[in-house]
Order: sequence, then C-alpha cells, then structure tokens
Amino acid sequence: MKRSLALPAAAAAAALALTACGLGSTAPAAPTASAVARAPELAPGQEVSIVLESYNFGQAGAWSDTFTALLDTFHQQHPTITVTAQKPQGNSSNPANDTVSSVQAQLATGAPPDVAQLGFSDLDFTVNQLGAKPLDDLVGADAVAANYEDGHPFAPKARTLGDYNGKTYGIPFVFSTPVLFYNAGLFRQAGLDPATPPTTWDEVKAAGQRIAQATGKDGAYVDCVTETAKDWCLQSVIRSNGGRVISEDRTRLEFADPPAVEAVTMLQDLVTSGAAPKLTQQQAVEGFARGDLGMILESSALQGTFTKGAQGGGWELRGTGVPAFTGKPVVPTNSGAALFVLSADPAKQRAAWELIRFLTSEEAYVQISSRIGYLPLRTGLVDDPAGLQDWAAKNPLVRTNLQQMDPMEPWVSFPGNDYLQIRDGMMQAVEQVVLQGADPQATLSAAADRQAALLPAGG
Amino acid sequence: MAVIAGRAAALERAAPADEPVGTHSRTRAVVGHLALGTLGVLCAFPIYWLYATSLRAPQDIYSLAPLPWPLSAQSYVDAFRVLDVGGLLLNTTVMAVLIALGQLLTGLLAAYAFAAWEFRGKSLLYLAFVATWLVPFQVTMLPNYVLLSQLGVLNTIAGVVLPSLCTALGVILLRQHVQAFPTELLEAARLDGRGSWSTLWTVVVPNLRPALAALGILLFVNAWNEYFWPALVLQRSNAVLQLGLRSFMGTEGNDWGPMMATAGMACLPVLVLYLVLQRQIVNGFVRSGLK
Repeated sequence: MKRSLALPAAAAAAALALTACGLGSTAPAAPTASAVARAPELAPGQEVSIVLESYNFGQAGAWSDTFTALLDTFHQQHPTITVTAQKPQGNSSNPANDTVSSVQAQLATGAPPDVAQLGFSDLDFTVNQLGAKPLDDLVGADAVAANYEDGHPFAPKARTLGDYNGKTYGIPFVFSTPVLFYNAGLFRQAGLDPATPPTTWDEVKAAGQRIAQATGKDGAYVDCVTETAKDWCLQSVIRSNGGRVISEDRTRLEFADPPAVEAVTMLQDLVTSGAAPKLTQQQAVEGFARGDLGMILESSALQGTFTKGAQGGGWELRGTGVPAFTGKPVVPTNSGAALFVLSADPAKQRAAWELIRFLTSEEAYVQISSRIGYLPLRTGLVDDPAGLQDWAAKNPLVRTNLQQMDPMEPWVSFPGNDYLQIRDGMMQAVEQVVLQGADPQATLSAAADRQAALLPAGG
Repeated sequence: MAVIAGRAAALERAAPADEPVGTHSRTRAVVGHLALGTLGVLCAFPIYWLYATSLRAPQDIYSLAPLPWPLSAQSYVDAFRVLDVGGLLLNTTVMAVLIALGQLLTGLLAAYAFAAWEFRGKSLLYLAFVATWLVPFQVTMLPNYVLLSQLGVLNTIAGVVLPSLCTALGVILLRQHVQAFPTELLEAARLDGRGSWSTLWTVVVPNLRPALAALGILLFVNAWNEYFWPALVLQRSNAVLQLGLRSFMGTEGNDWGPMMATAGMACLPVLVLYLVLQRQIVNGFVRSGLK
C-alpha cells in the first residue's frame, strides 16, 4: 500500500519536472505572402468565433471600456459572430512593443489571432512572415474600396497605408501625424506670441533658446531621436528635408545620404545650441505634462496625458503642425496601426472582415474619437452635426492632425526578417548624434554600412 | 584592597584589547550608524515615493514636491473603478499559494529521494536537476507555452501555475536539510516498521518544519512577484495584480496615480507577511544564500 502510494507520487513528480523543463514540440510554419482564395459569405445562422488581438486592449480605462462596448454592439449586429479580445503577450511596459513577438509565439502553437492590430513599421514582416491575408483576394478589391467609401469616406492618404506590393493587407485603424504641442503660458513668459507658433526649425530653435533663457525651463524636445520613439517621426523630419531613410524601391538605405544627415545635424544643433534638452522620451513627456518644457513634437496619442497635465498645472496646451525646413514643403508621416486578417479558415476570415468593417465604420470612429480622443480616419465626421462636430469644436487640437492628412506620406517599413535591427540600429546612431554629440556623417554612414548587410538579398 | 583595586583597573584597561575591534569607538559607531541609516533611507525612499505618489491629487501627479499635499484618495478610487482589485488580490494569492505549495511538495519528495535513498544514477540525476536551474527562462518559455496551448490551459491561472510547480531551488535547498538529518533516526524508523512514505511524513517532515516554513515563504514571495510568465499566459484578462499594474501603462501614456495606488496595495500582503514572519523570512533568505 505504502509502495503503491509512493510510485504515483514519484511519477507525478517526474511528470511535473518534465513539464517544468519544457518538453513540448514547436512547429512554427513560416507563412509567406501569396494569393489566397475568396472567403465565402457566411451562411445565415452560421456560428463563428474569432479572436481579436489589439495592443490598445492592454490599457485599462477608456480603451478597454470602449472596445468592450464596441464588441457588444458588433455582437448585437452580428449575433452569430463571437469575438474574444486579447492583448499581446509579453512584458513590455508599452504593449504596442509586444505585438509582433506575440503573434509569432501564437503562430508557433498553430493558433494565431484571427484579427490583429499591428504597426505600420511591421508591415513587410506582417505580410511575409506573420501570414497576413491580402484583403483584395479575401473579399475583393471592390469590397475594400466600398468600405472606404461607405458613409463619410476614409481620408484618401490613409487608404493605402496598409498596402503592400499593390494589394491591401491592412485597414488603417488608428494613427497620428507628428504634432508640435506647446505650452502657451511658457511662450508668454518668454515674450513669445502663442498665437504665432514656430513654423520652421529655425524658429523652433530661436523660440527654444528664448524659453530656456527667459524662464529657466527647457525649450523644445523632438521625440523622434531615440530608439524608444521608433522612426515614424524621424522619417517625417528627413522627408521634409527631401531625404528618405530607405530608397523608394526599398533596396538601399539612404539615412546617411546628404539630406538625411543635414536633417539629423539640425536636430543635433537644437541640443548643442541649448534650444533642446537632453532627455529620454519618458522624461520629456512627463516634463512637458508638468509644465517644465516649452514644446514637444509628439504623437496625438499622448494628447490626453498632456491635457490632464495642463489642467493640473494650470497652463494652456496648444498644438501646431510639423515645422518645415526653410523653403521646403513639410511632409508629415503617420504613426499607428492597421487591422490585419491572419486566420487561415475561410469562415473566420469572413467574420474577421466583418469585424474590421465594423471597427472602421462611422459608428465606431464616433465612439473611438469621442471617448478616447483618437483621430477619426473618416475625416468628414468632424463636420457632421450627427457625427463629431461638437467633439471637434471642443477639441481644436484635432484640426492640426486633419490638416496634415493631405500632405502626409506613409511610415515606411524596412524589409526582411532583420527589419527591427535595421530600424533600431539607425535610431541608435541618431540618438548618438543628437543626444551624445557624435559626428553626424561618420556615425550615420557607419550605421548604414552595418545595417545594409541586414537587407534581404535583392531587396 | 589596593592590590585588588589595582588589578581591577588593570583588567579594565586590558579589557578593550580582548573585545572586538571598534566596540568602544564612539566615532566609528556614529559613522557606521550614519552610513547604515543613509543606506536604509535610500532603500526605503522608493517605497515612500510610491505611497506619496498614490496619495497625490490627480492634477499634482507629476509634482516633484517631497510631501504629497493636499492628500487625495482619488488614485485609489480610480484604481478600484478600473480594476477589480479584490479579484486580482484573490487570484494572485491563489496563484502564489499553489505555486509555493507545489514547489514545496515536489522539492520535498525529490530531496527526500536524493538524500535518503541510494540508487543508480543518483548523482547524475541530481546534476540534471541542478542543471535545470542554469537554463534561462527564455529558453524554456516558448516550448512551455506551446505545451500549455496543447493542454488547453492558456489564459487560465492553472496555465500560470502548472509549469511553476517544480523548481530546482526547492530541491537543492531541501536536499541539504534532509542530508543533515541524523541517519540514526531514519534507521530507527525503519526498525519500527515504518515504510519510506510513512517515515517521510511522520519523522522527516515534523523535524524539517522550520526549513519548510522558511522556504515556503521565500517561494510565496517569488511567486507573488512573478510578472513575465503571467504576462505570456494571461492574454485575455489582467487576472493577477502584476498584470493589473501594467494595464495603467500604454501608448496613451502612463496613469501613475492609480498605478502607484495598485502597486501600494500589491505590496501590502507581502509587507504584512514580512512583519508577522520576519524571523522566518530572514532565516529563509540566509539559508538559501539569496538576496
């Protein structure tokens, strides 16, 4: 009897030890981009369950509440489709940084989420490695175009942000263009007119120096120069000087070419001249919210944080567009993410498309903009009394973003499996130049030479 | 009399030489206490700042003033509004208790086998156990995740607990204790007709109670603070406190007030446990050689 008890105990211990040591099989099949068959319409009464993965779902409060309410409405409209929402797995403080690794891990189990919200910087990898399905094949290019035209149409420049090799893979969902937020109170204290904010980088430098000298606070922070910031906003600064980080055919890195080096040198000059402080992204965001920083070029995703800070600190928050290089046109770029279908099951693919259509509908954008403050990509809603007219009147800062939608160009993703190393290597070089005073041309050239080896052969 | 007094005085003078160096050095004592006091304040300051931030009014959340004034409980109200703090506390407690008990049980059984029995390949098997301690978590992370997916326990507390039920740390520590156990007692138990199973529970375990208590507390605290693994397994909810905390961070900025309030509440059970069982915990850390 005693022996018979001891044996199962030993067997249980061995089984648990094996579990802890991780004996499992991994069979990740790397998906590749290819044409897929049309997903048939769902039959009446056909029950489908799908999983939606969104980094916004990881944040408690307005986003989770709004998402839950939207999914409830969707379920009322499509009672046969059940949606389970989840956040990316991972331990980054910002869940948006875990999106790709999370999908990769789930691909290894053979069960990726059916719909995923993934960043534009990951577009190439999403299509070629994560198995995003071309919506043009899945539901037809006509249906995709019709969705954009449904009700207040999508902003024209937003429509192609999720396109790859001429096909639409992702429907843009939420994004911002860079906004130069500024503290009107500090402008007045420094003898500057907050009604005429800087429109060129030269003016930003002069105003930053003035604020630093007159108030003892910091001048202007450009949140485009660190690895944490990623490169969406740096691409805007470089594009505004006529350069690119990668050639249009995406075969050659161009961030060490003269226009890009000139742009990064300008950013370095802001720091060396005392117009910009040497801060991390977190320090700058909190410093600005506290009222200790005059200007910050930032995504409007942080507008809520700044608004709360301004209310608490008793200062006035205002915003304007991306500054220009004197005599050159401004090119804003977009941040943010699109919704992709990753499911391989035709019924789930169709249900996923229905969900994407709903989440990018007028109804959803009214909720998302009014409850969270995000930019409605169906821009006409802000002039519609039945839409977001009242909300836009109370939130004038949204106009800056809307005005920048016309000249906007896409946040370009680097190609290949090593795209993150290329992007991060470039941003590390920029950080060394701008915040640590390294030589711009030498540092960027060295980084470009190193990263070029990571580009896929033949582009 | 004078002789005695003279001897006493001589002894008094000689005494310091027989005592540890510095015992009577007032300056050294002051410097030592100052240094320790400063280190203590440095260690305690982040905890103070956590509670200070949690008690600031929402509009003062970015303030660098050392004293939070006026005091506000709004961050706690917000934390309770957004999160089910009670549910999170319960889930986290269940998870930590199950993991600690599981690791204690498996550790005890394995340690008993290694220490009390002789069998072929014992040293090799023990080395294999030790080796699992050297394998980084990142290596086993994905295979464990795939296995949990196959078992269908992703997004459950069971999924968090299952791969953590066995740890080399428990086995190694308890083996030392069982090895130190007098073999005469084990022999006597055997002569009394007790089997191995009975000997373990009626002879070994009662005598190992202090070590088991110390290790249990250590394992509970480790499990309570676990963040990485729950963040992988629990995608569809923020079912434990450490994930609830993270839900105040994100693309739209960090909500420091409720985050600090929740962190303050998350610390409390461990702090209370520490206050109540201070001796055993210190003992646990000293025995394990861990900090």
